[in-house]
Amino acid sequence: MKLNEIEVVSAKTLNDALSVLHDQSDEIKPIAGGTDAIIQAKEASLQTKRFLDISSLPELRYIRREGSVIRIGALSTYSDIIESSMLNSSCRMLVEASRTIGSLQIQNRATIGGNLGNASPAGDTIPPLYALDANVKVQNHEHSRLVPVEKFFLGYRKIDLMPDELITEISFEAVEDPYDGTFLKLGLRERHFISLVSLAISVKWAPDGDRFSNVRVALGAVAPVALRARKCEEYLKNRTLAEEMIWNAGKIASGESSPISDLRAPANYRRAVIPSLLYQAAQSLIADRQRRQKP
Amino acid sequence: MEKLFSFKLNGRQVSVSAPPAYTLLEVLREKLDVTSPKEDCGKGECGACTVLMNGRTVLSCLVLISQADGAEIVTSEGFMRDGSPDHVQKAFIENGAVQCGHCIPGFIVSTEALLSRNPKPSVEEIKTALAGNLCRCTGYASIIRAVQKASENN
Repeated sequence: MKLNEIEVVSAKTLNDALSVLHDQSDEIKPIAGGTDAIIQAKEASLQTKRFLDISSLPELRYIRREGSVIRIGALSTYSDIIESSMLNSSCRMLVEASRTIGSLQIQNRATIGGNLGNASPAGDTIPPLYALDANVKVQNHEHSRLVPVEKFFLGYRKIDLMPDELITEISFEAVEDPYDGTFLKLGLRERHFISLVSLAISVKWAPDGDRFSNVRVALGAVAPVALRARKCEEYLKNRTLAEEMIWNAGKIASGESSPISDLRAPANYRRAVIPSLLYQAAQSLIADRQRRQKP
Repeated sequence: MEKLFSFKLNGRQVSVSAPPAYTLLEVLREKLDVTSPKEDCGKGECGACTVLMNGRTVLSCLVLISQADGAEIVTSEGFMRDGSPDHVQKAFIENGAVQCGHCIPGFIVSTEALLSRNPKPSVEEIKTALAGNLCRCTGYASIIRAVQKASENN
């Protein structure tokens, strides 16, 4: 079915959307910002008779903090994330990742829930959410359930979402100083590009400031789904930071990846740049820490 | 099946009948004869179809008309003042930022959005704001100069 022939059901409330999905979930696909779905419908890789347009549900567009938990409504756009002063002060890596996605026009429209639902291996909010140990809330007309983000992605473009469910919220523990984190991605040009490799790192500094007492490293675009480089994390944890040691950690992370070759880069190139990304990320965390320590 | 949609276009309320999954771009060009937004890539890479939707730049080739129902849309035409180019459009003309002209309406909309939020942007900020608009003629130097000139008259 061509894009122009698809019917559109416009939901005005979340309940409205969930009951439409309940009644006709086999024949209808939710659409939010549309920056992936519309292209896929034009190219016929997405086949559906109907779109359920949820782009204007006000209930799912919020960014707030409750105690130590940050909650982001699934329809929050990248621009919402970039402009959130709360996220800028408590979750830098998600802001950094959002800033690198597409162009401003895309950031104004595309949503974090859409990034999860589209489930591209190169989805740039996904490694930060892995490094934050985030949870994904999904709902149908009767129930809601909370899925750890790592369990949400089942395989290449496969997610733990039933046809009658919507992704409604992403939540995670706020990242506080001395917690810190950063996101880096490599592409073929400076702006408006798709990741060849992306890396998110979230750390807790040991009090003496020469090592991480806790660290989470997530890689994107180097496997069918994002992954946590747990061997690399084990190696980094509580080990005094030093040049060679950081390069070693990068090599370990590289060994945990399983990239493919595609039109953007061969697999061995992707594997080879992982240590460089980890090195840059670690150096920027160290530099930030030193800056903060200055009186 | 066509449905009736109404929205504000360049300050005027319009109603139009269209298939609900027509893109906003198709409705603007084919139903409303507003032809400054162009379709080049159709998949979010070139920015030639950039319009303002509720004050934000969006790609009209990636917005369904159903999603624009009730919205406020502004195209390059909407920035004209009494039928004449405004200071941004003039700056593009006067600085040789327009060669074939095809991409320019998108650049105008992105520039207007930038300057309304950030009246005196740095070159880096200009580059970031315009990264989603591609131009294959000018090499961008004259476009950046035009944005700087426009910001002086902001």
